[in-house]
Amino acid sequence: MRTIVNNLRLFWQGTLLSYIALFAWLRPVTYLASKIVMPLAQMLFFTFLGTFATGRGNAHFYVIGNAIQIAAVSGIYGVTFSIGGDRWAGTLLYLFGTPANRLVMFFGRAFMHIIDGALGVVVAFTWGVVLLGLDLSHTNLPALALTITAATISTCGLGLLMGCLSLITANVMFVNNTVYFALLIFSGANVDISSLPVFMRAISYALPLTRGILSARLLIAGKSLSEAMPLILGELGIGLIYGVLGYFLFMWFEVVAKRRGTLDLV
Amino acid sequence: MNFKNLFIYWRTVLMVAEMTIRQQLNDGFVIFTILFQPMIIAILGLYMLKDKGPEYAMFVVVGSGLTGLWSSLLFISGNSISWERWGGMLEVLVGVPTPFEVIVFGKNLANVIQSLLSMIVAYIFAALFFGYSLNIDQPFLFIVSLLLSVFAFISFGLTIAPVFVMYRGVQQWQNAMEFPIYILAGFLFPIALLPNWTTPISYILPPYWAARALHGTSTIGASVEQTLLAWGMMILFSIIDLLIASWLFKVMLYKARVDATLNTE
Repeated sequence: MRTIVNNLRLFWQGTLLSYIALFAWLRPVTYLASKIVMPLAQMLFFTFLGTFATGRGNAHFYVIGNAIQIAAVSGIYGVTFSIGGDRWAGTLLYLFGTPANRLVMFFGRAFMHIIDGALGVVVAFTWGVVLLGLDLSHTNLPALALTITAATISTCGLGLLMGCLSLITANVMFVNNTVYFALLIFSGANVDISSLPVFMRAISYALPLTRGILSARLLIAGKSLSEAMPLILGELGIGLIYGVLGYFLFMWFEVVAKRRGTLDLV
Repeated sequence: MNFKNLFIYWRTVLMVAEMTIRQQLNDGFVIFTILFQPMIIAILGLYMLKDKGPEYAMFVVVGSGLTGLWSSLLFISGNSISWERWGGMLEVLVGVPTPFEVIVFGKNLANVIQSLLSMIVAYIFAALFFGYSLNIDQPFLFIVSLLLSVFAFISFGLTIAPVFVMYRGVQQWQNAMEFPIYILAGFLFPIALLPNWTTPISYILPPYWAARALHGTSTIGASVEQTLLAWGMMILFSIIDLLIASWLFKVMLYKARVDATLNTE
C-alpha cells in the first residue's frame, strides 16, 4: 500500500513540477501567444486555404481537422521538452540516480500535457464555432470529449517517444517541427486520406491523430458514439504503442548512458 | 539606415552574408525553416489545390517559397541581434568601425537568399513528384519582382530585429506572428477571401506586395501596370523600413550602452 501511495505521490509531483518547470520561465503572454493565438492562426490559414481549394461548404472539414491537430502542440512540443528538459537542465543525472519507479516517473511527464492539450483543442473548437461557423448542434458532445481526450493521449504517447529521442540528439526542435508539420499532411487534417497514395495512407494510419480526426468528423456529422468507438479505441491503442516504445527506449538509454558515462552530456 | 553605407561597405555586407550562410547551414532549426517547412506546406498546397488545375502548381511553389521567406525573416532575422548578444559577440560588433546596421543587413541578406532555396525545392518537388510542367508567365518581370522582394524583405527584417531586442513583450508574440502574415499577405490564397476590414492591414505589409508581384508575374498574368504598382509599393516600403530601422538601431544601441546591457538580457 505504501509503495502505491509513494508512486502516486511521485507521479503527481513529477507531473506538476515538470509542467511548472516548462512554463515557469515563460510569461502568461507567451503561453497565450503559443497556445491560443498561434493555433487559431494556423487553423484560420488552413481553413482559408481549404475553402479556396474546395469551396466554403467544406470549411468544417478543415476546422475539425485543424482543431484536433492542436493536440499535437502539447503532445509533441510540451511532452518532448518535459523529458528533454531534464537533460538540458542537468537534472537527468539526479533523476537516474534515484531509486524512483521509472514507469511512474516517465508517464508522469505527459499527464499535465494531456489536460493542457485537450483544453487547447476545446479552445480551437470554440474558435471554430464562434469565428468559422462550425455547427455542433448534431454532435454527441460527451463522445466528442472522449475523442479529444483520446487524440491528446495518443499525441502525448508520440511525444514521450520523441522526448526520449531528444535525450540523444541536439536537434530537438528540428525533429519536433518536422513531426508536427508532417502530421499536418498525414493526419488527414487538411487532406482527405483516401486521396493519398497507398504508402502515405499506411503512414497515416500508423500515426496518432488520424483516427481521432476521423472520429471527430463522424461525430460532428451526427453519428453515434458506437460508430466512432472503433476509431477512438484505435487512437488510444496507437498512443499506447508509442508511449510503451518510448518507455523502453528511456530504460535503454539509462542503461547505455550509465555504462558509457554520458548522462550529463548535452 | 544611411544608403551610402551599403555602397561603401558592400564587401562587408557580402562577407557577413557568406559567413552567416556557412554558419546557419549547420543549424537544424534553420534547415527546417528554409527547407522542410516550406516543402511540407508545398506538398499540402499541391494536394489541397490539385482540383483547381495544374496552373495552380506554380502558384503553390511561389506561395510556399514566400512562407519560407517570411518564417526565416521572423525567426532567424528577427533573432539575429539577440543571437549575437547570447553568443557574447554584440559588444565586438557594435565596437567595430563598420556601422552595425550594415552587419545586420548582411545577415538578413543571407537569410533571405538562403530562404529562396525553399522556392527551388518546392519547384523541384512539384515537377518531379507531382509531374507538373511548371512555367513562369513573365520570366523577366518575375526576376525583377524577386530581386525587389528580397530587398523589401531584408528592409522589413531590419525593423523587426531591433524591436525584438528592445521590447521583449513583442518578441513573445513571435510564434503567433507566423501564420497571420501567411494569411494577410495572400501567400497561398487571395486576400479577397478574408473579411474586408483586413484589406488595409494587408496593404501596409511589404510581404503582401511581394506576393502580389511574384504571383502576378509567375501565374496570374498580371498587367504591367499592376506589376509596376506592386514594385512601387515594395520600393516605397523598403525606403520607409530602412528609415525606421536607422532610427531603431540608434535608439537600441544608445539604450544598450546607457543600460550597459550590450552583453546581457
